[in-house]
Amino acid sequence: MTAAAGPPVADALRQILARVTGSDDLLGAPLATPLLGAGAGLDSLAGTLLLREIHQRFGVDVAGEDLNLDSLATLGTLTEFIQERAGGG
Amino acid sequence: MIKCVIWDIDNTLLDGVYLEPGPAGRPPADPAMLGVLRELSGRGILHAIASRNPPEAANYAAAVTGATFAAAECGWGAKPDAIRAIIAELGIGADAVAFVDDEPIERAEVSAALPEVLVLSPEDAGEAVEWPEFSPVVVTAEASRRGQMYQQRRRRQAEARAFGGSRDDFLRRSGTRVVIEPASAADVPRLHELSVRTHQFNSAGQQVSTDALAELVGSASHRVVIISLSDQFGDDGIVGGCIIQTGTTTTRSWTVVLLMMSCRAMGRGVIDALLAWLCRAAAADGASLVRMPCRLTPRNVPLRVALAAAGFRAGTGDGAAGRTETGGGPPVEPGSTVFDRELTGPLPVLPGWAETRGGA
Repeated sequence: MTAAAGPPVADALRQILARVTGSDDLLGAPLATPLLGAGAGLDSLAGTLLLREIHQRFGVDVAGEDLNLDSLATLGTLTEFIQERAGGG
Repeated sequence: MIKCVIWDIDNTLLDGVYLEPGPAGRPPADPAMLGVLRELSGRGILHAIASRNPPEAANYAAAVTGATFAAAECGWGAKPDAIRAIIAELGIGADAVAFVDDEPIERAEVSAALPEVLVLSPEDAGEAVEWPEFSPVVVTAEASRRGQMYQQRRRRQAEARAFGGSRDDFLRRSGTRVVIEPASAADVPRLHELSVRTHQFNSAGQQVSTDALAELVGSASHRVVIISLSDQFGDDGIVGGCIIQTGTTTTRSWTVVLLMMSCRAMGRGVIDALLAWLCRAAAADGASLVRMPCRLTPRNVPLRVALAAAGFRAGTGDGAAGRTETGGGPPVEPGSTVFDRELTGPLPVLPGWAETRGGA
């Protein structure tokens, strides 16, 4: 996987991230970008909106399946988590 | 002046969820909201619907409330889009619109996207009929204070939207101040209210009586802290609280009996400051671990996101099964999941705009 590219799921996630954080910079975020804290700057509100949108768009209930929300480590880990469960995305 | 109120349907206009009928059929109209709706109709204010439901739900809501809705947007899209569509259809300004929804997340999303819209919980809507926004005649001191608070929020959100930088930059620039300090007996009523009214940011999901709180505030084995929030736009007062069992010298861990924060403080850095303070204060007290039993619900996902960001992790194994003993700490409610934060390595950073007082 290359830096700012990746599978279509990653691109969909970048768009959601840019919207919930209000930062268009995230449209070009590399897969290694951390989502929580300093990286994408996802706080609890933006994070919850992201999870809700993922549930609606991909049918994947991240909060229900990932107790510790480890999938939110980076854009890449979240992309993989969704791809594995949404049937290849 | 508000010209149109846009209503959510589930658990707002209806006393229940449209798509989850009970044995007696679909839910009836919520009596309190029906009163508000009729009162406002009498003042010539329009009504509309924005709901995550099939279109038939709007017809049903109209039938059970007996009201006329000037516009209805039902579907699975984002609420701000639905509200924009209604505003365009009715040809009114966003600042002439109020939006009532029981879900704090929906309210927060609309507030952030459309800061001019007056966003209300159903509880607020009950009071809001007295606010000057809805009636130029009747104005009590309390009503105008609440009205002001919402104006402050709208101004803050408008500026946050116009501000290009990061959330942290905005919090800093708008003079955000989070103060964490020991609770006193005078804070007990507010702490009780928070324990009853908070859901999204409530760890144990327990209500605590004023008697129990008064006892905890004076207890040598516990710390009770309050969190206050203000910025250049206004003073929100006490927005959160935390009850901690600091344990004995042998257990070396802090157990968070209850953490709670008002959803009004959501998105303003308060929960992150509180969790950072918890880790740092516990470490300073010689503890090696902070434990937080949580009753997980679909509604407190925001708390879990904050816990993940602060490095808390649920116990390994079958997490949701919970543990009933916390190494000398208080017993954990069945059905709770214990989130732990080992106090080794770098601790979460307490932001510069957060301060502690009174030895908290």
